[in-house]
Amino acid sequence: MELSEYVQKGFQMLADPGSFDSNAFTLLLRAAFQSLLDAQADEAVLDHPDLKHIDPVVLKHCHAAAATYILEAGKQRADKSTLSTYLEDCKFDSERIELFCTEYQNNKNSLEILLGSIGRSFPHITDVSWHLEYQIKTNQLDKMYRPAYLVTLNVENTDSRSHPEISFSCNMEQLQDLVGKLKDASKSLERATQL
Amino acid sequence: MLLDLSEEHKEHLAFLPQVDSAGKLSVSSDTVQHGVEGLIHLLTESSKLMISELDFQDSVFVLGFSEELNKLLLQLYLDNRKEIRTILSELAPDLPSYHSLEWRLDVQLASRSLRQQMKPSVTIKLHLNQNGDHNTQVLQTDPATLLHLVQQLEQALEEMKTNHCRRVVRNIK
Repeated sequence: MELSEYVQKGFQMLADPGSFDSNAFTLLLRAAFQSLLDAQADEAVLDHPDLKHIDPVVLKHCHAAAATYILEAGKQRADKSTLSTYLEDCKFDSERIELFCTEYQNNKNSLEILLGSIGRSFPHITDVSWHLEYQIKTNQLDKMYRPAYLVTLNVENTDSRSHPEISFSCNMEQLQDLVGKLKDASKSLERATQL
Repeated sequence: MLLDLSEEHKEHLAFLPQVDSAGKLSVSSDTVQHGVEGLIHLLTESSKLMISELDFQDSVFVLGFSEELNKLLLQLYLDNRKEIRTILSELAPDLPSYHSLEWRLDVQLASRSLRQQMKPSVTIKLHLNQNGDHNTQVLQTDPATLLHLVQQLEQALEEMKTNHCRRVVRNIK
């Protein structure tokens, strides 16, 4: 894991009991995780009374360093020994290393989900709705008397802000074709998971 | 149900018996055009309403054509009505319609933000037609949603087999 001097400096300050007592350390650590993982977190995350005595510049630096490190560790799927090694190099005592690793372990799943969701992909189908109609006539054609389906796919784009829908009509044969192909896909999936 | 032919329409069609057996036309181009249009209108209206043979014969009878010409027109109608109806159906208010679908199974192994992944997904290429244009959409879904889609659409297919739908289809004709 390649980490900048900025991060290292931040951690060295965090390691110092003179700058951060046990309580402040834990609070800052939790704040870092919260900023990353809690969608509702805002700047007030560092506004705790027990952190007021620390120089805000130092506070910001350490918070940023911790957040950067957490993201890098999450991305690389760092294990406990990798974490410990780096923290030792930053002069963390064993108690703080243990605290960090525990906090990291508790948040690992959420972190990985967050990181996994970043990135570009095709629009993602989330749901389908359908309606079945019996067509009787149009202004061009009388006596139609045929069933038709209208299928709507609910789709989510990666930016999660647009939710377009894809609608199309089909007759019974076409819907059977569609369902048949999707069933083939799911059977293949089942077979692949059994390998 | 008889076709309601307007006076203008009857006039246009009156030109038809004048076409001699060699197919040579000795009239103005306007007349020819009107004649052709009249014929088209006759056939499309008949096809649209899906009128019976008898009704067609009776409708054409008012034009006072020869027995032979009437027979010819009837044959023309019967031979082409299916195709005419297909073309007319394409004029309906058009939603994109399903053409076909291709799929692919993928497993994402890593991304810029996360290494060592095993994320299965299904990539789907949906081919749709609209107004003669071919349109493709590439979409993706996860295994759980795929199963959900299959289940929902199978239910949709099952609906046609229910008593309710069968009754409607039987009784509205």
